[in-house]
Amino acid sequence: MKNTGFYLSLRIFWYLVVIFLYLPLFVVVLFSFNEANTAARFTHFSLKWYGQLFSDDTVLGAFKNSLILAITSSAISTVMGTMLGYGMYTHRRRRLGWLVWLIYLPIVMPDIVYGISEMSFFTSIYNMLGILRPGLGTMIIAHVSFQIPFVALLVYSRLVGLDAKLFDACHDLYANGIQRARFFILPILQPAIIAGFFLAFTLSIDDFVISFFTSGPESTTLPIYIWSAIKKGITPEVNAIATVLIGAVLAVAMITMAFQYVRSASTTSRA
Amino acid sequence: MSDTGTAWQAIDSRPRQRRISWDTWHLLGVITPGVLWIVLFLVLPSILLMGIAFMTNGTYGLPQMPLSLDAFKQLAGYGFLGWSPGNLYTVIRSVWQTVLSTSLVILIAYPVAFYITTRPAHLRPLLLLLVVVPSWTNQVIRAVGWMNILAPGTPVSNLAAQLGLITPEMGLFPSKFAVVIGLVYNFLPFMVLPLYATFERLDYSQVEAARDLRAGPVRAFFHAVLPQTLPGLMAGTVLVSIPAFGMYVIPKLLGGGKSLMLGNLVARQFSSASNWPLGAAGALIMIVVTLIGLQILRRMSRRLGGDIEVVL
Repeated sequence: MKNTGFYLSLRIFWYLVVIFLYLPLFVVVLFSFNEANTAARFTHFSLKWYGQLFSDDTVLGAFKNSLILAITSSAISTVMGTMLGYGMYTHRRRRLGWLVWLIYLPIVMPDIVYGISEMSFFTSIYNMLGILRPGLGTMIIAHVSFQIPFVALLVYSRLVGLDAKLFDACHDLYANGIQRARFFILPILQPAIIAGFFLAFTLSIDDFVISFFTSGPESTTLPIYIWSAIKKGITPEVNAIATVLIGAVLAVAMITMAFQYVRSASTTSRA
Repeated sequence: MSDTGTAWQAIDSRPRQRRISWDTWHLLGVITPGVLWIVLFLVLPSILLMGIAFMTNGTYGLPQMPLSLDAFKQLAGYGFLGWSPGNLYTVIRSVWQTVLSTSLVILIAYPVAFYITTRPAHLRPLLLLLVVVPSWTNQVIRAVGWMNILAPGTPVSNLAAQLGLITPEMGLFPSKFAVVIGLVYNFLPFMVLPLYATFERLDYSQVEAARDLRAGPVRAFFHAVLPQTLPGLMAGTVLVSIPAFGMYVIPKLLGGGKSLMLGNLVARQFSSASNWPLGAAGALIMIVVTLIGLQILRRMSRRLGGDIEVVL
């Protein structure tokens, strides 16, 4: 029995939710092109805030810091996360429950606890030993620690999706450890590793709280810059930086999805 | 994306096998760098933080010996000037705002997840993606979006003023209302994904059986549908409520000082208020809640057949 009234209202509800989800982002992008310095009303289309943005040294410095942080931390976490995910898969018959806990801890823990514990840890170390001064270095360390689990899970899921016979075949052909890594595991994991890198990259660009608490005076990133700028009110310039960030993250996320798609396509074609 | 889930099951429930030494070395070799990094830079700092909670606050805001329960007493409201409810209010407000926003998230996410399952199979991943994409952008930016929408003088605020909900010069932001909107907005995808995972494998024959037994739609829902989606609901509740409970950015930006939550209280003790033990005590509460949530998540994920990772 199909109740059309029910399904119609469900559909209308869905459209309302989609509007709810995209309205804030749309407003940010829209008002970044607003000529007037207000969010109350859209006057004229203008690119002047973007011009102002790209001639501001503080903003460009923050942009550079964000990129250095994201690329370095993603590179480190991709290597470690891939190894961890591979280890979880090959040794999945063992009792590794503690490892699952460890991997989910960074994912579930509230940002603030994460940021505060790393901040107090790094400051204490710095006061005692004079190393790990808060700055880009400590931020990279913190970012790597929350990126590793995501990369590991991505790689693990790729391996679980494979036919276990492939591993047997490798064994039957007397491949040694290095050959197996070089000709089988790395090629087959390539989409997952690339997707993992980009996922780690977006996680890093998106993070504010953990960066904020582990940063030093000279390591302002774009989200931290926005945070301090909005204390003076929402300006079109803030909206313009936000739009650049939204664009960057969406582009990278789409690339990641494309790699995921390649992965699922190859899985289905084999089945 | 979804097949990751077996991680929980496979790792947890396989019987112990005879250990081969080379195998063990291999395991240690591949997992040590990642595990060591997380232990050294996340687990160890959180343990130290929990230790700080039991120390005394020094003159310069840095923790000192002797060990005491001062921080917890302060959290409960006991200070130099006798009892004052400020801190306790913050804790209660955090719990209340978490409960309120989690309930709203459930009410919105449940129909959404169901709607997606009614669409053709090839469209579903796309619709899920549509729900998830906004959460890929920065938290601060999403809050800025809502500040743009709810500020005084904007169409939404004007409408609310005309309806008599607020006075015209107020605007809907900053307010408790804005905080709840922000929390719901932030965490909606984390509920939709696990719920969708349960809806996708819903056994409709149970619903048909209920209808055959002349159960009305409401009874059929409560007896045949809701119990089946409970694991997804529980998993979603954990994934929404724990981060919401510790939320820092949204209350600070959208609440305007009057709706601060536990996360803000903790942060303040490590900056302007300079009382590390008190901040650590607040963080300790959140860590305990997190660990309880992790345990629930692990149970639910087993019952779900492991689709939790969809959230990633």
